[in-house]
Amino acid sequence: MTVLRQYLQALWRARKSLVYVFLLCFSLLIYMPFLMILLKSVGRGWFGRLWLPPELTTHWYRFAVEVTNIPEISKNTLIIAGLAVIMSTLIGIPTGWAFGRRKIPGKELLMSMILLPRMIPPIAYGLGVAQIFYRTHLINTHFGVALAHVAVCAPYAILVLSTTFEGLDERVLEASAVCGANPWRTFLHVIVPLILPGILSSMIFTFTTSYNEFTLTLMTYGKDTVTLPVRTYIALGEGYWEVTSAMSILLVIPSLLVLFLIQRQVAPEKLVGGFKGV
Amino acid sequence: MTDNMIELHDITKLYGRIVANDNINLNIHRGELMTLLGPSGCGKTTALRCITGQVTPDEGRVFIDGVDVTDVPTHNRELGMVFQNFALFPHMTVFDNVGFPLMIRDMPKPRRREMVMDTLRLIRMETYAEHYPRQLSGGQQQRVGLARALVYHPKVLLLDEPLSNLDAKLREEMRFEIRDLINRLGITAVYVTHDQAEALAMSDRVAVMNAGQIEQVGTPDEIYECPRSKFVADFIGLSNFMLGTVASVESGRAALSVDRVQLMVPADEGTRAGEDQLVFIRPNDIELLPADSDQVQNVFDGTISKLTYLGDKIDYRVLVGEALEVRVQTDGKVRFSKGDRVKVRLPMTHCRVISA
Repeated sequence: MTVLRQYLQALWRARKSLVYVFLLCFSLLIYMPFLMILLKSVGRGWFGRLWLPPELTTHWYRFAVEVTNIPEISKNTLIIAGLAVIMSTLIGIPTGWAFGRRKIPGKELLMSMILLPRMIPPIAYGLGVAQIFYRTHLINTHFGVALAHVAVCAPYAILVLSTTFEGLDERVLEASAVCGANPWRTFLHVIVPLILPGILSSMIFTFTTSYNEFTLTLMTYGKDTVTLPVRTYIALGEGYWEVTSAMSILLVIPSLLVLFLIQRQVAPEKLVGGFKGV
Repeated sequence: MTDNMIELHDITKLYGRIVANDNINLNIHRGELMTLLGPSGCGKTTALRCITGQVTPDEGRVFIDGVDVTDVPTHNRELGMVFQNFALFPHMTVFDNVGFPLMIRDMPKPRRREMVMDTLRLIRMETYAEHYPRQLSGGQQQRVGLARALVYHPKVLLLDEPLSNLDAKLREEMRFEIRDLINRLGITAVYVTHDQAEALAMSDRVAVMNAGQIEQVGTPDEIYECPRSKFVADFIGLSNFMLGTVASVESGRAALSVDRVQLMVPADEGTRAGEDQLVFIRPNDIELLPADSDQVQNVFDGTISKLTYLGDKIDYRVLVGEALEVRVQTDGKVRFSKGDRVKVRLPMTHCRVISA
């Protein structure tokens, strides 16, 4: 008993250092796999046993780009993500406006119905989508894959945009009218600048969601609509770990760019300009 | 007719079954500060919104500067407005906020800059031109709101509870600042508030509103000294209300029996014995005298039943006779304790009769 108590007391005394230990473990959990594929993609003859690969090479990247037709696949991925962003935003703006600014009976129920596609397992949902798409010949079309993505992208857009529109102060719009601005100029000079950050972050969210989407693509793609995540998965089946790792790294780069953008450029307070207090 | 800047004619507005404005008539003179005063839900904000055009009355007409503007949209009414929550444009600097009405009017930039800086100087905010609203204190934000409302010299300045979001001390300072600014500019102003002290301190005239109707319009002095209804007497300042029956009438005074106490009150010619009358007196108009005092008229024996120390004054509840309790506020120069026997004098001139 005393041993246990001493042990617990020691833990208690060390509680501040323990936080760092946990943080370190957590970081390892997140970053180790990433480090693994990075090393794998640039190493030759490395099997993860030594600390660093014995020889560095760009061979696998060249291989990936040439053999797996990355430019074509990237184009597919971007077209599909672009279509998904456009459709989600077009759905999200009016729906978000209604949710954020109107009194709707059963608003909570409607909102959870919109979020439902995100709750049920994508594989089950995708199976149903695939059956419909085969009948309607939407399989293996950019529009079809994007449409399947919209089911998971639009909820994000609606959520983000309804919060944005909810935050739009009615009194500020009234102030604009009293100042002499007609509805069009109020829209142009007041509403647009105030909702733009929300629309941009909604677009970024939907873009990354579509760009990263795997399961729904797998259920709806064809030879003309292979996307980066799906191609990476196929490459894994072909047995080239190094090539697959290189592809994964290429896959990650746009996401990192977007993350950088969010951090540096599209921070709402930057867009709105000194929105944050001093 | 022509010296009225704003005229409200028979304004009625319903929200469902709730009557927000019930046949309101009000004339606001050119250059005066008119306050719409009343508790929340009395319809003062609806009346203000009828003037701005954010609300279209179901019945009645609104005139601004002699023109019927009932069907003119808000943005063409040439008004300036200050909001309770400031309602500044969060994405614009102080300079752009104040310059917004000028930008909307397509004023050339150099002239715009000049007018904005003039107005910012007026409110002593010229050094904050490049700040954003979020970087300012509440009082500073409201001054910017004031500047935005005044920059294009509107016909009318509307203020919708502009001080309610500020702390007590700042509120007091801003009262004088706003009043002073309006005096200097000579602009017609409509001020909406539920704070009677604010209304009395700032207004040229006050319209006291209750349940969608205007109870009384008058100068702060008239409203305070001669309220025409129990509601007005009660809402403006503290009051003791006493309902009694006229026992006898003689040459301009009447003896009123209130809870077995005989109170002398002023009486007009129509007063008849046997009538019920409602009388009120302000707590600070009542005198408390030591029990051995020899004054006679309207002096009654009483007992201090409760007292509250308020710093600059003392608030007493005095039981007169068996059932009549009056509230008295004194400056505290002569002090009494709970249970003390006192004489209470209700000077006849301060006893005011409201119709029963």
